[in-house]
Amino acid sequence: MTDHHEAIAHLLLKQAIEEFLYHEVELLDERRYEEWLELLADDVRYWMPMRRNVRFGELEREFTREGLDINWFDEGKDTLTRRVQQILTGVHWAEEPLSRICHMISNIQLLHVRPPVPEPVEVAVKCRFLIYRNRVQTETDILVGKREDVLRQVNGQWKVTQRKVILDQNVLLAKNLTFFF
Amino acid sequence: MSGIINLRLLEPGTTISLSDGSTAEVVSNPLDGVWVFARYLSSPNDSSVVGTEEMIFAQNIVEILNTP
Amino acid sequence: MAASGNGGYQHGLVDMATGQVSREIFVNEDIYQEELERVFTRAWLFVGHESQIPKPGDYFVSSMGEESVLLCRDREEAIHVFLNSCRHRGMKVCRYDEGNTPVFTCPYHGWSYAADGQLVGVPYFKEAYHGKLDKSQWGLVEVAQLCNYKGTIWATWDASAPPFLEYLGDFKLYLDLSLDAWDGREGGTEVLGGIQKWLIPCNWKFPAENFSGDSYHNISHRSVDLVGIGPSGTGRRDMQERQMARRVQICFPERGHQTGVYLLPKDQPTPLAYQHSPVVSEYFRHCEEERRRRRGEWGRLTGSPGEIFPNTALHPRQPRTIAVWHPRGAHQTEVWRWYLVDQEAPPEVKDFLRQYYIRYSGPGGLTEQDDMENWNYAHAASRGTIARRYPYSYEQGMGFEVQNFAWDGLQLPGVVMDITEAKSSEHNLRNLYRRWAAFMEAESWDELAAWRRPEPAKRTNGQSDRS
Repeated sequence: MTDHHEAIAHLLLKQAIEEFLYHEVELLDERRYEEWLELLADDVRYWMPMRRNVRFGELEREFTREGLDINWFDEGKDTLTRRVQQILTGVHWAEEPLSRICHMISNIQLLHVRPPVPEPVEVAVKCRFLIYRNRVQTETDILVGKREDVLRQVNGQWKVTQRKVILDQNVLLAKNLTFFF
Repeated sequence: MSGIINLRLLEPGTTISLSDGSTAEVVSNPLDGVWVFARYLSSPNDSSVVGTEEMIFAQNIVEILNTP
Repeated sequence: MAASGNGGYQHGLVDMATGQVSREIFVNEDIYQEELERVFTRAWLFVGHESQIPKPGDYFVSSMGEESVLLCRDREEAIHVFLNSCRHRGMKVCRYDEGNTPVFTCPYHGWSYAADGQLVGVPYFKEAYHGKLDKSQWGLVEVAQLCNYKGTIWATWDASAPPFLEYLGDFKLYLDLSLDAWDGREGGTEVLGGIQKWLIPCNWKFPAENFSGDSYHNISHRSVDLVGIGPSGTGRRDMQERQMARRVQICFPERGHQTGVYLLPKDQPTPLAYQHSPVVSEYFRHCEEERRRRRGEWGRLTGSPGEIFPNTALHPRQPRTIAVWHPRGAHQTEVWRWYLVDQEAPPEVKDFLRQYYIRYSGPGGLTEQDDMENWNYAHAASRGTIARRYPYSYEQGMGFEVQNFAWDGLQLPGVVMDITEAKSSEHNLRNLYRRWAAFMEAESWDELAAWRRPEPAKRTNGQSDRS
C-alpha cells in the first residue's frame, strides 16, 4: 500500500469508528438501551476506577485497580444487562422518571489498529466525554472525562469489548450513576 | 552556588552546605520539598553538633557540595 | 436553644409519646449547627480500618463530622487521629488521600509534624523565634480518645465520653456480626482497596434512620429484586434462611444503637448461599459449619442493617460494608463506604464479593440508588414553610416492644421487636431519634450515660429499660 492509500484507508477507518461512537451515544441519549446492549460484545469488560489524590512521584497509586479494588463499575455484559432491565421495569425510582441525558464525545484518537489498515479486526480508541444529565426539575450533573475503548469486528460489525471510563473526579459529585458512559 | 534547590531531588548521601557555614550529609528525604533529615559533618560555630542529626529547612541550604 | 419550638427536643421536636418527629430537625440550619456541637463533638465516630495503615508512616485522610482528620501510624506503630489543620495558620497539612510519610509538612510556612503529632520542624526556629516557641504546645490536635476494635478505628473529641466498649454496651454482640470472620473466629477482617466517597442532597439523618432498621421500605427496591443481582442469582441477596428465622429488631435506648437480626430455630442448619459460585458457596458452607460449632447457640444469629449512634451504618452480610454519613450542611451528606472481607478468604471469594458489592451499594449500586432517590426528595419536599409544620410519623409498632426477648432457648440483649409476623416496625428509628434528642439537650456525658447512675435512675423519657 502506498503512503497515500494508507492515509486514505486510515481516514476512512477513523470516520467509521467515529460514526460508530456517535451512533452508540445516540442510542443511549434516545433511551434505546436494548439496542445499545447489542453493540457490546458478549465478553465486554466495563469499568470505571476511582481516583485518589496522591503525592507527586506516587501516581501509580492514583487509580483503583481493575479486578482487585472497589471501583465505580467493574463488570461484564450480565450486570450491564441487568442495569438496563432495571430501568425498563419502570419502578427503578432513581431513574423513574427517566433522566434527560446528552453525551458529547470528542477528541477521538485511534491508539492502535490491528492488523493495520485496510482491514483491521481490533481498534483501540481514546476519546473525551462530556455527559450532561438532568432529571426531575432542576437536578443536573455534568460529568467529564476520558474513555479508553477497544472495539472488535464481530460478524462484520464493530462491537465494544473493553471500556475504561476515566472520570475526572475524586469525591463523586453525582448522587448516582444510573446512566451509561 | 547551586541556585534554588528542589529538595525533593536530594538523595541520601548528598552533602550540602548550610547558611551558618556548617556542612551536612542527607540521611533521608521526606519528599515534602521543605525539609531534609541530615547529619552534621562540620560546624564552625558549635562542634558538638557534628555527628548529630537534624531537620534542615530548605532556605537554610546554600549549596549542594557532592552527590552520591 | 435554636428553633426548638415548644418542649425542646425531647418533648417537642422529637415526641416519643406520639411517635412523631418534626421535619425541622432535618432541614433547619440552626439545628444543624447545634448538632455539630452537641452530637459530633461528643459521640464516637468511625474513622477507618487498621488494614488501611499497616506500616509506620502510613496515613489515610478521613473525616469526623465536617472536619478533615488524619488517621496515621507512628514510628512506634501506635495509631493516632489528628485534626488535619496546621496549628500555625490552619492550612491542611495533608491534601492527599492516603500514603506514607515520616512527617506532615504544611506547605504554607513549612511547619512539620511527626506521625505522632509532635511539632518537629519550625523554619527559622533559632532565628525568627529566637528559640522561644514551645513546640510541645503546638503539636497537631489529637482526638481525646481512640479505640481499635477488631481493626475498626473509632475516635471521639470528648475526653469525658465513656470508653468505646462502654459506649457500645451490649450492642457489641451485633457489631461483631460485621467484624468477625465468617468461620466465627474473632476479628480477621480487612477492607478492600478503594473507599467510595460521594455526595447526596439530603440531611445525614435520612440514611442514618434507614440503616437503623427501616424494614418498611423493601417495596422501594422491587426493581432490583426483579432483575436479580443476588449472589445466588435471584433477588438482591440470599433469603432462604429468612424463611425459617425469626426476624427481629433490637435497640438499646440508653446507647442509641440499633439493628435488625435473624434468629434461626434451634437445630436448624444454615441454608446454602452464594450459589452462583461453587467456590464461594463451599467456602461459606464450610465457614458457617465452623461458626456454628464455635459459637454454639449464638451461631443462630445472623445480621442485617444496623446503626451505631450517630452516623455509622453497618451491613453485616450481603453486602458486608460500613458507611459513614458525614454531615456537609443541613441539606447535604457525604457518604464514605468501606467494604469488608475476611483477611484469609481465598482470592476467588474476595473477587466474587467485590463484584457483588459494586453492583449492590454505592452510587453505581442497583439497590442503593433507589434509597438515595427517596432520601433526596424526602428532604427536598420537607424544606418548605408549610411542609415543616407537619411532623413525620414514626408510630409503627409502638407499644409492642419486648424486654428479655427469648426464642427457642436464646435470649437476646436489647429491647426487641419481633417483626416476623408484623413485617415491620419503626421501633429502631424511634430509638435513634430519642437518643439524638437526648444529645441535643444534655449538658454533659453525666446526663448521657444513664447506665452509670444507680437504679432507680432519673430518666428523661420515662423508660425503665437498661442496656
